[in-house]
Amino acid sequence: MKTFPCALAVAFLAGAVVAAFAADRTITQKGKMFSLTDVTVKKGETLVFVNDDNVAHNIYSTSPNNEFNLGSQLPGTSVPVTFDKTGDIDILCAIHPLMKMKVKVTN
Amino acid sequence: MRVGSVGGRGMTFNLRIAAAIAALPLIVGGVETAGLRSGAAAVVGQPISTVVPKGPPATIDQLRRDYKRPATIPFPADNPYTMAKVALGKALYFDTRLSGAYAQSCASCHNPGYGWGDGQPKGVGAGMKTLGRRSPTIINAAFGPIFMWDGRAASLEEQALGPIKTDVEMNMPLDHLMERLKVIAGYGPMFAAAFPNEVIKPEHVARAIATFERTVVSPQAPFDAWIEGDEKAISEQAKRGFALFNTKAGCNRCHSGWNFTDGSFHDIGLTSEDVGRGKFLPSIIKMQHAFKTPGLREIGRRGPYMHDGSLPSLEAVVDHYDTGGIDRPSRSDLIKPLALTASEKTDLVAFMWTLTGEVDPMTIPALPR
Repeated sequence: MKTFPCALAVAFLAGAVVAAFAADRTITQKGKMFSLTDVTVKKGETLVFVNDDNVAHNIYSTSPNNEFNLGSQLPGTSVPVTFDKTGDIDILCAIHPLMKMKVKVTN
Repeated sequence: MRVGSVGGRGMTFNLRIAAAIAALPLIVGGVETAGLRSGAAAVVGQPISTVVPKGPPATIDQLRRDYKRPATIPFPADNPYTMAKVALGKALYFDTRLSGAYAQSCASCHNPGYGWGDGQPKGVGAGMKTLGRRSPTIINAAFGPIFMWDGRAASLEEQALGPIKTDVEMNMPLDHLMERLKVIAGYGPMFAAAFPNEVIKPEHVARAIATFERTVVSPQAPFDAWIEGDEKAISEQAKRGFALFNTKAGCNRCHSGWNFTDGSFHDIGLTSEDVGRGKFLPSIIKMQHAFKTPGLREIGRRGPYMHDGSLPSLEAVVDHYDTGGIDRPSRSDLIKPLALTASEKTDLVAFMWTLTGEVDPMTIPALPR
C-alpha cells in the first residue's frame, strides 16, 4: 500500500466515482441475465452495468444514435453508460445470446 | 468519445466505501470503441472495480440440481407440437428430393448414424465439394437459444431453409422446392394434416422440419443415472472428472447445465482463419474467431471436434484447453492454460464418456410418392 496521503487521494477519487454512481440506476448481469429487461431513462441519464457474474460479458448496442460497445467486462467491474440521445435501444451481450434488454430514452 | 464525468455531482462520499475501494486496484483501462461513428454513440464511462461478494461454494447436491434432465421438450408458441407436423417434418428431413440434384437431404449431413452429424471434419455439399465448417448435430436443438456456428439463425425455423436454398449445399431455390413437393401426391395430405386450412409455402416446410428436429433428444446416459442418485452408475474416475469440469478445468462456465452448453460465443484460441461470429460483429474484438459453444451430450460418438473438425479425439480437445491455444486479444477471458496433470486429463475424458447413452435406432420413413 502506498503512503497515506496517496491512498487518501485514490480513495477520494474512487469515492467521488462511487458517489456519481449512487444516483444512477444499476443493471446487474448475474446468472448471464440482465437484472432488468425494460428500462426507461431520460436523455442524459446514466445506467451502470455491473458484472456481478462469474464470467466476462460484452455488452453492446447497434441502435442508431446510441451505439456502444463495452468490450470484455470482467466479473467485479462496473461501467457507466450515459444516453445523450432519445430513442429505443436494444442492448445485447455479444457472448451470451439470451442476454437482452431494451432501453427507452425519452426527453 | 467523451469519458464519463467524474465528480460532476459533488464531492460528498461515503468514507467506508471509499476505503474499501482504495484497497482494490483501480481499473483505469480504456474501453473499446473501435468501429463506432462519432456523434452516434452513447457515452461510456471508465470501468471501476467493485466488490462482488462470493457465494458459498457449490455443493454436490446443488450441482446435481443444475445438471438434471428436463421433463419436457419446449416447443415455441408460434409452432407448437403436433404428431402430423412431426411426421411431415421427418419425411422432409430424410427426403433427397429437397435438393436440386436429388442427392442430398438434411439427413445427409445431420445423420442419425453419426450422432446426427456426419462424422467428418467439414461437411460435403453440392458437387461433392467440401464445405467451410463441420456439420453440427441436431441433438437437443430444442433447447438451444441460437443456431449455426456463428449464430446467424435465431431459430430452427430460420435455419431449416438455409441449407436447402444455398447453392453450395442442397442447391434448391425455394420456388422450385414448392413446385417439386406439389407434384408428389403423397405430400398433399401430410401438409393438410400438419397445417389445416393454410396455403402451403416454404415456411411450412421449415416449421415441419423444425418440429421434427425438436423431438431429437439425447437418451438417458449413465451420467443422468448418477445425477439421480445411483452412485454405481459412473466410475470414481468419471466423478473426479466431473468435479474437475466444474472447478479447476472451468469447463462448466460455457458447457453448463444438463445439455452442457449455454449457447455462448467464444474464441478458444484455435489456429483457424475463420472469424466465425466476428463476420457479423466486426467491431467487437471478442467475437473474432468466436464460435458457438456446442453441447456435450453423446459427445463420445460425435467426433471430430471443433467448428473445423481439427481435433480428432476428446483427448486432443482436453490437451487444447490445457494449453489455452493462441493467446490473442479475441481469446475468451475464460480460456487460459490449465496446468492439468495427466491423470486429471484422463479423468475429464472418462467423465465425458458418461454422457453417451443407449441410442434407439432411428427408423427412416417410407417417403411419399
